[in-house]
Amino acid sequence: MNALWTEACGEAIGVPWLLAAIAPNGALGRRARERERPFRHGDESEARAALGRVAKAAAAAPERLASLRATIAAAPEVGATLVRARVGGVLGDVDFFELGRLLDALAEIVTLAAPEAFGAAVPLDHPALRAALAPGRTASRAFYLDDAFDPELAAARAEAAARQAVYDTARSRLAERIARFAGTENVRDGEFVLMRDRLEGPLPPELRVLRETPAYLLCELSLDEPALAALGSRDAAAARVAELEERVRARLSREVASAAAALELACDTLGELELLVARAQFAQRHACAIPEIADDASLAFSGARYLPLAQALEEHGRRYAPISLELAGIGVVTGPNMGGKTAALRTLGFLAACAALGVPVPADSARLPLFDEIAWLGIGAAPEDDALLSSFGAEVVALRTFLGHGAARPLVLIDEFARTTSPREGRALLVALLERLQERGALALAATHLAHVTPKGAVSHFAIGGLRELPSRDGAPLDLEAALRRIAAAMDYRLRRVDEDALPPADAIALADALGLDEQLIARAKEEM
Amino acid sequence: MLARARSSGAPSIAVVGTSKNAGKTVVIAALAHALARAGEPFAVCSIGRDGEAADALDSAPKPRLFLRPGATLATAAVLVPRSPALEIVAVTGERSALGPIVLARVRAAGNVEIAGPPSAAALRRIVRALGADGRLVLVDGAVDRVAALRDGEDAVVVAVGAASAQTAERALDDVEALVARLRLPRADSGADAVRIEGALTASAAAAFARTGERRQIVVADPTHVAFGGRTFLELAARLDLRCERTLRVIACTVAPLGAERSFEPRAFARAVAARTKLPAYDVFAGSVEEPAAA
Repeated sequence: MNALWTEACGEAIGVPWLLAAIAPNGALGRRARERERPFRHGDESEARAALGRVAKAAAAAPERLASLRATIAAAPEVGATLVRARVGGVLGDVDFFELGRLLDALAEIVTLAAPEAFGAAVPLDHPALRAALAPGRTASRAFYLDDAFDPELAAARAEAAARQAVYDTARSRLAERIARFAGTENVRDGEFVLMRDRLEGPLPPELRVLRETPAYLLCELSLDEPALAALGSRDAAAARVAELEERVRARLSREVASAAAALELACDTLGELELLVARAQFAQRHACAIPEIADDASLAFSGARYLPLAQALEEHGRRYAPISLELAGIGVVTGPNMGGKTAALRTLGFLAACAALGVPVPADSARLPLFDEIAWLGIGAAPEDDALLSSFGAEVVALRTFLGHGAARPLVLIDEFARTTSPREGRALLVALLERLQERGALALAATHLAHVTPKGAVSHFAIGGLRELPSRDGAPLDLEAALRRIAAAMDYRLRRVDEDALPPADAIALADALGLDEQLIARAKEEM
Repeated sequence: MLARARSSGAPSIAVVGTSKNAGKTVVIAALAHALARAGEPFAVCSIGRDGEAADALDSAPKPRLFLRPGATLATAAVLVPRSPALEIVAVTGERSALGPIVLARVRAAGNVEIAGPPSAAALRRIVRALGADGRLVLVDGAVDRVAALRDGEDAVVVAVGAASAQTAERALDDVEALVARLRLPRADSGADAVRIEGALTASAAAAFARTGERRQIVVADPTHVAFGGRTFLELAARLDLRCERTLRVIACTVAPLGAERSFEPRAFARAVAARTKLPAYDVFAGSVEEPAAA
């Protein structure tokens, strides 16, 4: 398997949210992101080094990181320009403008952030190329193929301007003569109209008639000998300017070509620097910890938050209850509905994804291994548009696919596997799956309502605290937000290791009551219990 | 025409045509020439592509745009001429059909091609960037993009030419309807109104007319009226059409001589002035017909 997780698993553990949160703003960062691959089991040294660099960057002041990132994001992507220069192409003025912007950004970063402090080993400033382009850079950071690039250019432009003036004078002289003849204020460039009723006498020779009707003449100027000579002279001077301008561009392009390899490296470094800064800002924003990357297949974390849910709850004025967990091998989580079993799985998956992406984890502390596959089984294991299969069928197919990968160090997150089939057979399948995962040395956490799925001595059993008290109904018509707040206040979301045979807490009827289900129906359900 | 725009304090002048080859670029070139002669700073941009030697669709020769030092323009990076070199001021985040759009300053006189963004919002950003330091911006425009202009501030010039219609009468109907549409009055917030989400179609307007609708019919801006010509004139006479964002049409221009047909220049200009109640400039003849005289 090439990807560390499937799309469905990524969705389940918040990878799109995470990727959006650390997304680069600039073109160079986006290009660097395309080269990135998650760390897998076997990459522990690289992951530790990368996280160390993020830790160092995260120690910088937030303002410094923001300036650094804004500067990098403003740097243009000039990869295609550099390739053209390397194959001998003559660049254009827009290319030189963009290269100037890139050189400005590189120089600014050197002074702004001392990037070697963040582990950037490539020299970023390119004073030689900056000096080569300097004559064309204006105070406003524009670019013009200035006279200063070539003394001959200055002379040729002066000559062209002078000859343009001579031609303008010659043409104006003709135009004024025609205007006087036609009784108009002036005559425009190109075609113009003369009304016959304003004309007196024969047409002057400087007038070429293109079309005529009884009322008007459509004409253009017919240049006389002096004007034609001035035009030829102007065109020759303009051609000389064009030749010299191209000569300057060719020289500058060669300078760019000789610096292209180093510039490409600098661009790569700049892009990687933006990714690093984005991670450092993420760490600052979410009070993250640098995880210890474990070599063995065990993990421990405390005060961990599943940020996509924490953010959604915060938007509704509620608070996410951080969780702590220690796990080696296989674990089973039981607990009431709405108690956070799935959130516990997501939190673990999110932390594992963070570590794989070299991102500090939203937790007080964490020790995590790297995996060669992160799998999500059970509810949400298959894409929702898989309409040809029942939900149970889709779960089984996802499981079969995962087992076929034969990952040596997988993290397996199992959310109520086989809950849509008969409880007896569902339990049997789950027990068999946990045994298989144990044989393979996987690290797995399974959330379930089923009892007695934990083989003796082989599986850790965790239970959500459950309802500390029964959330009361106030008799008023149900306000769902208020009911959810009451349930959240009454729920103990903590995960505790419990005896293997402990029965899962059953708060379903109390929760249904708190959510406003018909009172008679609740009473009847209690009788049935 | 410039004097009219200046006196109204318009930060930009958009030239829109009743059809293709209505003479918009000739008007832009003439305005650019006049501004350069007066030594006033200005900028030029387009909603499409203009200034090229021949039309990309039918290979017909097109009017060139000759700019002198001091002018600023927005164009596609690929259309920046090799010579005479332009001063590249910015690479914008906007794109034309030909790629990224750059802002550039003319340093030596020469022909340029301009190309602009396809959307009204992007055009608005380009116009703002070009006019940031107070220079007048000339926009070689399109009727359906004038929504990019600032409410009641920017000036609009309507171009009509012999290429626009088979007969002079039809061309006059078109220009009268377009001007009337672009000059829709502002909605009266104190009066009853039917607000149209999206565009008002001819069939919807006809239905209002049939039922004798007396309330104001309000669209966001004049470009949200999706019909023109004689149909617009007839329906507008029976309905109280209004808009929330108004435009300021200051003049018309005429290009009476087309490749396939010509209209008698002075009579055509005079008729345009009479039908639109606006001065009609004939840039080819260097003349103007005022509505009062017409």
